[in-house]
Amino acid sequence: MSVLRAYDVTKWYDELEVLRGVTFEVAPGQVKVIIGPSGSGKSTLLRCLALLEEPDRGEVLLEDRRPEPGEVGMVFQRFNLFQNMTALENVMCGLVEVRKLPKREAREHALEFLGRVGLADKAAQYPDELSGGQQQRVAIARALVMRPKAMLFDEPTSALDVELVREVLDVMESLAGEGMTMVVVSHELRFAHHVASSVLMMDEGRIVEEAPPDEFFSSPREERTKRFLSLVES
Amino acid sequence: MLASFNTHIFWVALSSRPFWRGALLALELTFVSFAISIVLGFFLALGRGSRSRTVRGGVFFYTWIFRATPTLLQLLFVWDALPEIWPVFRSGWFTPFLAAAITLSLNEAAYMAEIVRSGLLSVDPGQELAGRALGMSRRRILRRIVVPQAVRIVIPPMGNEFITLLKLTSLASVISVTELLTAAQNFYSTTFSYQEAFAAAALYYLVIVSVLMVLQSRLEKRFTFTSRGRKRRVVAPAVPAISHDAR
Repeated sequence: MSVLRAYDVTKWYDELEVLRGVTFEVAPGQVKVIIGPSGSGKSTLLRCLALLEEPDRGEVLLEDRRPEPGEVGMVFQRFNLFQNMTALENVMCGLVEVRKLPKREAREHALEFLGRVGLADKAAQYPDELSGGQQQRVAIARALVMRPKAMLFDEPTSALDVELVREVLDVMESLAGEGMTMVVVSHELRFAHHVASSVLMMDEGRIVEEAPPDEFFSSPREERTKRFLSLVES
Repeated sequence: MLASFNTHIFWVALSSRPFWRGALLALELTFVSFAISIVLGFFLALGRGSRSRTVRGGVFFYTWIFRATPTLLQLLFVWDALPEIWPVFRSGWFTPFLAAAITLSLNEAAYMAEIVRSGLLSVDPGQELAGRALGMSRRRILRRIVVPQAVRIVIPPMGNEFITLLKLTSLASVISVTELLTAAQNFYSTTFSYQEAFAAAALYYLVIVSVLMVLQSRLEKRFTFTSRGRKRRVVAPAVPAISHDAR
């Protein structure tokens, strides 16, 4: 039984085949971490899963049907908070604009989720006034408040200063602990080691290898994975 | 000669009914044309980014026509030639004021389109992506996220356009719109007090523009997204705030 499933997902950008028939599935509560060099198709895969891109072939299924907007939450590398809204308004936005909740109710939910990422006291601040780590946590709350069935993270810590990475990973870790189904593109190998149910290596639009973290890091099977790991770990 | 400047006559001109009526008319014409040109410019800006070649071509042609011909020519064309082409424009409803408003709106929209477009493009596309991930429609994203942020960027260049428009209304004197310049002309044609008449008209323009500058800086603060009590770094406008053009 899988929550999220990609079947034969293929994507072309003009002449370039970015995804070459990717098939994989995520079971409820699983956390999959995807690693791979830039241009390997990791981000495109996430965008297809989030319905931000339409695959040229293949399909994406959530509980064996097409996902509805907001059912798959997405967190971006550059946070992408709405700059004209406060932290609270950012989190409320999906509830008000998409789910059509009354403002008062949306506000309550939003405050609750801001609290869960430890930012209840920053509700009235604009993104401009928050640190990168705080912005990313607001972005996570903005996705979570829609009660998604799965969460996608596209390199959520690569735009952050080193000392701000931890607070974002902590939020993600506790989310995983609560049983959220997650797909994470990240090169935080220690996070992958601790939290992932399995780690995937992508290269040239394909999944090269998939294994539980212990096995993946200690005894990778594929030559490509070994080469990549030796570069990332050094 | 400054020596011949008659302060009394100047005050008479300044406080006379035709002058303040003229100023009011110039302002009305400016506001009407400004408002219409923003709406028109917005759609032209969307058209420029359209996927359809025909739409993009149409916008290019429009902009080309209105930017490459003198405003005075356009004004005279609308007032004198349009009724020749279409009989609809021959009846009484087609007043000089209306002709001027139409011309200035169409003309200004060509410039507004560029400003609106640069404003819309200045908003980081990542925010649109985030909106779509939440399930927002493109229209909603435009309305709730992109436009409010674009407003801040376009205020300075639009203020500039407002001033340009205000001054362009003086052209309407040639099709007998009784705005400020007409008031001055009427005044000196009977009194022969050229200096005083022009000085009075100029003062009206100066005052209007000064008030506008104050309003503009207030508006800029209003659309700066930061919680109260904190100084914000100044965002460089995507468009030069001052541009010289001789329309």
